[in-house]
Order: sequence, then structure tokens, then C-alpha cells
Amino acid sequence: MSNLTQEQIKVLEQSRQRLVQLTRSLGSLIASLNQSDPLPPWTSLQSQASIISNNLISVSDQLSDQRDLLSNLVAYPGPEYPGRTQANTLEQLLRTKLDPRVEDWVARGRTAGTEPAAGQSNFSDLDAAHKPLSEAQLAELWEWAPLEANQEARRRNWGGNYTLEEREAGIENVVTGLRRQLEDDDGSEEESDGEEGDGEEMDVVGVHRKPGAAELEYNIAPHQPHPVQPFVPLDLILRHMTTGRMP
Amino acid sequence: MHEQSLFASVPVHQHHELLQQLAGLTAMQPRHCLERRLIFKAYRKPGVAGRTGASQDLQQGDLQRLNKMLNGNMYYTQVVGPVSESDFGSTASVDRDTQMAGMDDSNPDGSSSSPSYDYERQPWKLEFRDIPEAGTRSAVTSRLMSSATLPRGDVVQAMNAWGYHFTTEYVVEGDMFIHNDIAIFLHRVLHYPGGDELNLPRRQLPALKDMTLFEKSGSYVLQAFIIVQDGSNQETMKTASQHLFGLREQLKSAVVLEQADRLSLDTRAK
Repeated sequence: MSNLTQEQIKVLEQSRQRLVQLTRSLGSLIASLNQSDPLPPWTSLQSQASIISNNLISVSDQLSDQRDLLSNLVAYPGPEYPGRTQANTLEQLLRTKLDPRVEDWVARGRTAGTEPAAGQSNFSDLDAAHKPLSEAQLAELWEWAPLEANQEARRRNWGGNYTLEEREAGIENVVTGLRRQLEDDDGSEEESDGEEGDGEEMDVVGVHRKPGAAELEYNIAPHQPHPVQPFVPLDLILRHMTTGRMP
Repeated sequence: MHEQSLFASVPVHQHHELLQQLAGLTAMQPRHCLERRLIFKAYRKPGVAGRTGASQDLQQGDLQRLNKMLNGNMYYTQVVGPVSESDFGSTASVDRDTQMAGMDDSNPDGSSSSPSYDYERQPWKLEFRDIPEAGTRSAVTSRLMSSATLPRGDVVQAMNAWGYHFTTEYVVEGDMFIHNDIAIFLHRVLHYPGGDELNLPRRQLPALKDMTLFEKSGSYVLQAFIIVQDGSNQETMKTASQHLFGLREQLKSAVVLEQADRLSLDTRAK
């Protein structure tokens, strides 16, 4: 067993300080909830909550950054430790299993984390269908709808006055409600090549979700009417550039 | 020196936008580059006669690596020469004898003599790159590299003497950006028309428009790289790869920069 280096001790010290900050801000929130009458104004509660959340983030960053070190550390009492007088603290330090109370918290946190993924099925529930949507469901809907609408929009070939279905049924029959005659500008192109858009193709900025990523991505690159993917994969190009070998 | 890089394949239709995006990101106009690249291949073990020359400025770690490099495998190596657009399609100056020395390359008015490509005055740089390091934890392509300026003109003789023979050549066309300490090179490979039946570097360059694309759709390769002087310093190496990751984040909605397949950059000659 090797001793800790200065740097590792520094890491431990940092973790300790962040945890201390977290407990302090939690303590002050609890104190203000318990003691002040009437309750503190919501702005102060919110600012305290955001402080706590920042503290949590910094603790969690620290823990995950130093994961390698922290998971390898083993605590053991030195010979000069006052084991007789401080037996309680010693037990606290040496225990490897979580406190039962803490274990409950952890379990609750885990189920809360997996619930949204498993809880999709309540849409099919008949009772749920008539209830007003909860906040979470609303948020889910709003998250889902723009993506879906965008994908639907991308499936269409924009730039004409008629949809494909209307054109197939014959554009004479379409009730447009307009007095002027709509011209069917790309009717002829459509026969030659269905994918041929006319020059002013609408820029459908892509929104899609990366699997596993929390936030949405917006494609800056505008939608191209004629995307040409490279024929030669990158590694063959690099190989050719390195050795001159033809693929 | 170490080169750390990330690569991406850029379809041709995205090229123009990417140029603009990069110009915006780096706050500079693209610097257009054209390079002749000659590929040489080692045909006998170099360094058998022992290495001579100055070594005092080499790091100890680098020195060992260099020794291993020289006495170990044989490698492909590149000789790179910058050219300009006016070098293409011009006839070689046949009447060189009538010109006086020093007159040919810097004509102040420049209008009287047509620009001509002079192979004898072409500057060259030898660029060695090792196979990328295997099993590095960071997801960047990291490889040992080294470059040296060669005498102008015909390099084949010198390279032959060093144990390399000429394999093939191509032209790289592209644009260069600098973003903090990252060099960003968006480029593609051009081939000479008619293949290379003669086994020597060309003395004349065909017109640029006659050059054929290696990748027929005209796609580009985006390489973002940082050259680290002291590759044995883990701190600087880490900083460099973190800067590259930063760039990858910034560009991720436009292109996906990735580590290249290690074997595709294998410079060992088998």
C-alpha cells in the first residue's frame, strides 16, 4: 500500500470542501424553512435551490472526474488513531455498506430515474386519456411534437402548390377556395423525376435527436436538394494519401 | 514532434458552407493551398550504417524512438512541395539559357513573361509520419512526426541515396484555417491525367482543370490537427487533445470529427 501523493490529498480535500458546501447550503435551506414565519419569499427559496443544485453538480463532477482515484482508495485507521474514545466515528469511516436510510434514498432515486422510461404505457390507459395532462406529460408532448412535425415536413417535397395526393387525383378537382388560378409549376418536372425540387427549396433546418444525448441537435447545414455522399470512405482516402495505393 | 488529429469526411455539397462556417469560426479567410505530394517507399533498411549528425537537441525519449524507427521497420514517407495555381498548365521554360540567373522568379511587373513552372526551383519538404499510436485512451489520432527541408529541384536522387524510391505522386488541393492552436485543413486529392506511367516526378504540371479527382464525387477530407513539440510531455499532449475535443464540440452540428482508422494511416512498408 503506497501513501497518497500531494495531488491525491488535494483531490480528497477538494471533495471534502464541496461536500461541506453542499451540506451547508442544505442546512441553511432547512433552517430557513423551519424557522422563518411566514415562509421565506419564493425568490429566496429558488435562489437557495439553485445554489444547492450548483453544489450538487460540482460534487457530482468532482466524484466522476476523480472516479478512478476515489474507487481505489481504502480507508484504514493509523496506529495513532484514538480507537477507544472515537469508536463511533471509526465505525462510520470504515463501514463499506451504505446506511439503511441512505440505501432507501438511493433506491428511490434509481426508480425515479427509470420511471419516465418505463411509464410510457399510461397513454393507452382509457382513464388517463381523458384526464388533463400532467406537467411532465405536457413537457413530454412539447418535446416530441416539434421533432415529429419536422420529420413529417421533411417527408414532403416542398415547393409546389399541390400535394402529391391532390395531383394524382387530378388538380382540377381540388377545391382551393381561391379565385385566381394556381399554377402547377412543377407538374412536368414531377413526371421526370419525383425528387427534383424547384430551385427555391424550403430550408428545412433539421432537428433530430442523437441516441443517448439529452439535448436536441440542430443541423446548421441546410437541407440539400441533391446530397452526394462520398463514394470512397474516409479510411481509403487516407490510406491512398499515405501509401499511394489505389483502393 | 507529435501530431494529434481528428478527421471527417465532407461531402462535396457541404463544402461551400463548411468553408463559410470555418471562416466564421476562425475569423479568417481560408488560405488556399496546392501541394505536390510525392510518395517514397523505403527499399532497404535505413540507418544500417549507423546514424550520424547532431543529436543534442533531441529528447532522450525521442532519441530512443528515433533509433527504433530508423533501425526497425521501413516506412513510406512523403515529400511535399507547395505549388501555386499559375504553375499548372504552364509550359516549362525552354529558353532558360537566355534568362539570367535571378531574373526568372521575381519579375516585378510580371506581365511580360508568362509564369512558368520550374521543377529545378521547386522547394521540397520531407515529411515523415509514424503509424498512429495504438491503444491511446484519448480518442484522437496521435502519431510521431518529423519534417525536414530538402534542397530545391530534383529530390529523387537524394531520396534514392537514402534508401527510398519514388512510388507515386498526387496533388492536394485545399484550404487552411488556423483556430487558436489548431490547424484545420479541408482538402482533397487530385490525380494527374493519364496516370503515372513514368516512374519519376513530373517536371511539368498539366492544366489544373485537367486534373482528375481521386474521390469521384469530389468530397473533401477535413483534418484538424495540433502539432506538439514535446510528445513525451503528457500535460501538453492532454491539453492538445482537449482543444481538439473542444473544436469537435463546436463543429458537431456541421461535421463529425473522429479519430481515423489507425491502419489506414499505416506508413510501414511491407
